[in-house]
Amino acid sequence: MKSSAEIVIIGAGISGLATAYNLAVRGMKDIVVIEKGYITSGSTGRCGAGVRQQWGTEMNCRLSKASCEILENLEEILDYKRSIEFKQGGYLLFATTEKEVEQFEKNVTLQNSLGINSSMLSIDEALEIVPDMNTEGVMAFAFHQKDGHANPFHTTFAYAEAARRLGVEINTYTTVTGIKVENGRIESVITDKGEIKTHRILNAAGGFAKDIGRMVGVELPLKPERHEILVTEPVEPILGPMLMSFSWNFYIQQEPNGTFIMGYGEPNNPESQKIDSSWHFAQEMARKAIGVYPPLSRVRVVRQWAGLYMMTPDSQPIYGSIPGVDGFYIAAGFSGHGFMFGPITGVLMAEYILGEEPEIPINMLDVGRFERGELIYEPSVV
Amino acid sequence: MRIESHPILEFKRGNALKFIFDGQEMVGYEGETIAAALHANGVKILSHSLKEGRPRGFYCAIGNCSSCLMKVNGTPNVRVCTEPLKDGMVVETQHGKGVIK
Repeated sequence: MKSSAEIVIIGAGISGLATAYNLAVRGMKDIVVIEKGYITSGSTGRCGAGVRQQWGTEMNCRLSKASCEILENLEEILDYKRSIEFKQGGYLLFATTEKEVEQFEKNVTLQNSLGINSSMLSIDEALEIVPDMNTEGVMAFAFHQKDGHANPFHTTFAYAEAARRLGVEINTYTTVTGIKVENGRIESVITDKGEIKTHRILNAAGGFAKDIGRMVGVELPLKPERHEILVTEPVEPILGPMLMSFSWNFYIQQEPNGTFIMGYGEPNNPESQKIDSSWHFAQEMARKAIGVYPPLSRVRVVRQWAGLYMMTPDSQPIYGSIPGVDGFYIAAGFSGHGFMFGPITGVLMAEYILGEEPEIPINMLDVGRFERGELIYEPSVV
Repeated sequence: MRIESHPILEFKRGNALKFIFDGQEMVGYEGETIAAALHANGVKILSHSLKEGRPRGFYCAIGNCSSCLMKVNGTPNVRVCTEPLKDGMVVETQHGKGVIK
């Protein structure tokens, strides 16, 4: 492990590694990544890995559209010889109340104005895309063909390999135990395998970003939550798009390998860093899934797991630096969308850290917005 | 193929059951699994590997390995090594991952 670095990035998930790659490709040397587990061992490798552009705020639409466009060409950009399994089968969103129909119509108008070709669909139009779906209680749908899913492991490994080729050092099974700050400036990162002198740190620690913040005496407005997922045995492809409902609270998607991945968010989810699985989830998820997509009654569940969402008060990420601690950068609090934003997170954070103008202005996503009361509520979250 | 007599264990054979395998009528016995009946009838290939299409036979025999997934009475992905044989069953070789509809 290097004993000094230009920057130490904490977390080898998609955000940390995409930023490491983008910094390296822009010419930064001596980039060190510290990861307490293995690459993708945190939220990235546990996520549903959906990628959608159908958002309710301009910022999220722009971030996800840019991210999606990178994913479309990622193998070429990173010279990755395998596939990241990017499937653009679309997202089919269920509107089940008058209010939700109105919200979706508003979202679609916003999305269209930003170059995202989503549209509202009638029940019949939606049934043409997913014939076996149960549409009882659904009023309308919103659909966007370019939404989809990528393999979170391959996507992150693609960044890791490209970063390593550019000289980035990735230290797995290494835990950050402290951060030295002198006169308001970062001096070093202390790990269980030694100290690294640096004046810059990127906190990309996902579900543990709050703990990293506390190491420099900052209480970040973050709340880790356990979210559960299950996966079924593989069957021949029958479901093109991701089925998703905010009001009924679920997402169901068939992967290119034929398995179905699905999950939902527990209401009033308490703050927790536990990632155990519950019997309750398996039962409730199966009930929801079979209700909206009856063919699923004929597949077996093979596995379930959980990961952490790192929630912010407005369900939008925190990008930028922390006032009062010179050299402390943050890309965290993705509120369940860190994977899909990952590719653009890397670009924007690299530009920001290098003092360039980020291609999408991120100043409104700084940590100070919570104190200023300038929250940007995202209405469309599972 | 079946053990007729054993020095320690006693095998009580159930009633004969007719079933169809890939269009061919076969006979098994009550109390057997589908895979046991197929094996006794000389059927050694139960499925094929998904990527290379290599033959897969009777392997774990406890419902874990997915080597014996077949279509039974129209239902795909049945683990025939643990599924009891029933009279009149229609057992088919499954090609690919199974179609649910």
